[in-house]
Amino acid sequence: MRITFIFIAIFFASISLVPGQSLGGPGTIKDDGRLASSTKQLNQFFRRFNAEESPNGETRYYPEDSLYHNVPLRQGFIQILFDNQTSSISKELKAQFINTVLSSSYPQYLNFHREGWYSEVQTQFIYKGKREPVTIILKLQPERLGYEWVFDDVSFEPFKKLFNKPVGGEKDFLHPLSHELGFMNLRRAFQDSKTPEAFTRTDYKPDYLTLFLYEMKLGNLRFETVSDVKFHFFQIEGWYFEVNQFNRPGFNTGWLISNLVKLGPGDKETIQKYIYDQN
Amino acid sequence: MKNILTLFLGLFFASSIGVYAQSDNVSPARKQAIDSLALEKVKDLSKYISIIGSKETQFSEANRVMDRAEELFAPGAEMGVSSINSNDIAYYKVRRYFERLMALNYDRVNITWYDIQYISDLERQPDGRYVGVITIYQRFEGTSIETGMNYKDTTKKDITIYVEKKQTQIAGRTIEFWDVMLGDVRVTETSV
Repeated sequence: MRITFIFIAIFFASISLVPGQSLGGPGTIKDDGRLASSTKQLNQFFRRFNAEESPNGETRYYPEDSLYHNVPLRQGFIQILFDNQTSSISKELKAQFINTVLSSSYPQYLNFHREGWYSEVQTQFIYKGKREPVTIILKLQPERLGYEWVFDDVSFEPFKKLFNKPVGGEKDFLHPLSHELGFMNLRRAFQDSKTPEAFTRTDYKPDYLTLFLYEMKLGNLRFETVSDVKFHFFQIEGWYFEVNQFNRPGFNTGWLISNLVKLGPGDKETIQKYIYDQN
Repeated sequence: MKNILTLFLGLFFASSIGVYAQSDNVSPARKQAIDSLALEKVKDLSKYISIIGSKETQFSEANRVMDRAEELFAPGAEMGVSSINSNDIAYYKVRRYFERLMALNYDRVNITWYDIQYISDLERQPDGRYVGVITIYQRFEGTSIETGMNYKDTTKKDITIYVEKKQTQIAGRTIEFWDVMLGDVRVTETSV
């Protein structure tokens, strides 16, 4: 608690002391600290989480700088990286997470280029004349001289409705001696059945991304807009957290942790499935 | 004139950090120089936006300033605008955005900027160019005398910057310099 107080004091002191490279001349509005405290970019979320910049964000710290990865600075930063107004993350869980991350024997950092984080983007498309929400999962991957965001998966309700494989007694099948008849009964799957997916192998999963691209190429899907963006992080061993953007009055704004889970065995896979909408 | 100035600034920064001139990596010193150059472009953009939005600016002058402002951007750059009431992004080509700004139906328009900005790290994209984002905040105030309406908003502008190493010939010598162009801009209404 005392550390947070000291951090906040240093934070605001530094805001008032550093003139910075402001945009304009006489007409400029002085920030009262709210914009400075906001985590304005996800880049700043990374830098704050790792203590790789000064409290006011104007100086980037590199490995040769004395305050680079400085523990008290990091502790202060991580405290302000939580959504403290709407999320229900307990103080105990937060403290446990911060202790793990700041461990003197095994401190953990976020890495922009490393696996273990991705984005979930809510978009709107026009599909067959109707506005439909589409969730797109994007990942960062190395490509030639740099990096790029790529589509990893999509979730689209009309596709989910389309593929509804029947189970148990409802499920039709091709009997095990179909081959003796030269599979003449394929007609049942392809002509008589409304659920041809019933005839697929047990672990069959439709590839929605391919379907999505196919529909787009046929001109049946038209992009409208992006409506929301969030990020999922699995980079801290044994933990999952979600980062959302909070656009509201006050000091606790910008990109903040809105959900924190301590992972037990199997939890990671369950959460991933939930995010990828594969439940 | 603007291009010559940009070239001069680029050459200045390239020569001031000449020790790194043969490398494609962005050292901290070079990053700082690139940040300053990018910030200059953003300042120019801010100035142009204020002139275009001002009711005192004549039509012909506003058009001339729009041309200058457009030159700051890479081809095809877009403005993506959203409001507090709707997160949906409306897309405008840069020129269209400026034209809309000029056509706003207020008698008095006052555009000011907050004394704070944030500059991201530079990341390399597949084609070898670097990309970064500068965040700035703008205060808009428009008054209509006839209706007595007074509209105010604060917007966060996340501005893409593309950084590229270029070459030019001066007196038979090949000189390398780093050039900065602005790209897509995300404009978000904020509730500061």
